[in-house]
Amino acid sequence: MKLSLFREHKIPSDQGDDSEIDVAPVMNMFIILVTFLISMAVFTHVAILEFTLPPNVNAGLDQSKGKPKLRLTVRVGSDYMAIVLGDKLLDSLPVEKGSFPFNSLAEKLNARRRETSLQDEIVIASRDEIAFKQVVHVMDICREAGFSKVGLSSATANPEAGK
Amino acid sequence: MNLKKRTSFGFGKGDTGTFRPQLTSLVDVMAIILVFLIKTFSTEGNIITPSSDLELPVSTSQKKPSPHWSIEIARNAVMSEGTFVASTTAFAKQDALLIPELLKWLEDKRRLRNDTTSQALIQCDKEVPYAIVKKVMYTCSKAKFTDFSVLVIQEE
Repeated sequence: MKLSLFREHKIPSDQGDDSEIDVAPVMNMFIILVTFLISMAVFTHVAILEFTLPPNVNAGLDQSKGKPKLRLTVRVGSDYMAIVLGDKLLDSLPVEKGSFPFNSLAEKLNARRRETSLQDEIVIASRDEIAFKQVVHVMDICREAGFSKVGLSSATANPEAGK
Repeated sequence: MNLKKRTSFGFGKGDTGTFRPQLTSLVDVMAIILVFLIKTFSTEGNIITPSSDLELPVSTSQKKPSPHWSIEIARNAVMSEGTFVASTTAFAKQDALLIPELLKWLEDKRRLRNDTTSQALIQCDKEVPYAIVKKVMYTCSKAKFTDFSVLVIQEE
């Protein structure tokens, strides 16, 4: 039997090396939490873009209100994009090698919005062959330019001829 | 520091001769993942689940969607609330704007549900040509839908 007088005493730093924290329960909790959070995670957020249809599609032109209201119109085609007011072509932006001039369109729209009194409503008239993502991009540009009401319509091949 | 006790690749030999993995580095990794997941955790979630058949366009819009009558336009089919209604190849080449199958489906469902809502949510694949979208919108307007919104992926 050893006397306590002769018991080996370790210095505190050596004692620390021997003691181990049991991290297994922490790991278990982490695994449960990570699994739960991954299952609940939303990696993509969805939003909506509101639009209207032309009045003659929805309820018919209301003749009692007189002449139809003129709206700024963005024509989207695979050959060119244009900003039109009534039958007057304000700006024409060519589409080169399938690249749509969205930056120029944004600048022109901002300028036209300042010039005219038509500051809320705009119509996007797209050609049939245009992919829907391009239409959504134009809707974004119109909304960012300050047009709160966006309408969707269909564009003719030649606006001046009306065909 | 006692280096003799540390063995390679995080495994150490216990007093009884069994190998015990060093979990410290694993706990560190788990803690980082946990912080990331908690940071991205959204209590709101998505009220509307986009259809798996289509790739939605990206937009800068921030407006949150609310549940409405959903019409999905995939590359080959038009669906409503997950049910196949019409094939796009069938009506894409026709001049007529109206899609009779879709109109009938919408009117039948309206009658069954006794629903008078005017709001429709269009989920459209980003590569679908505008001609098809136009025909779907026209048909919806004939089924007395007047307020339209399109579902998009929010740009980060």
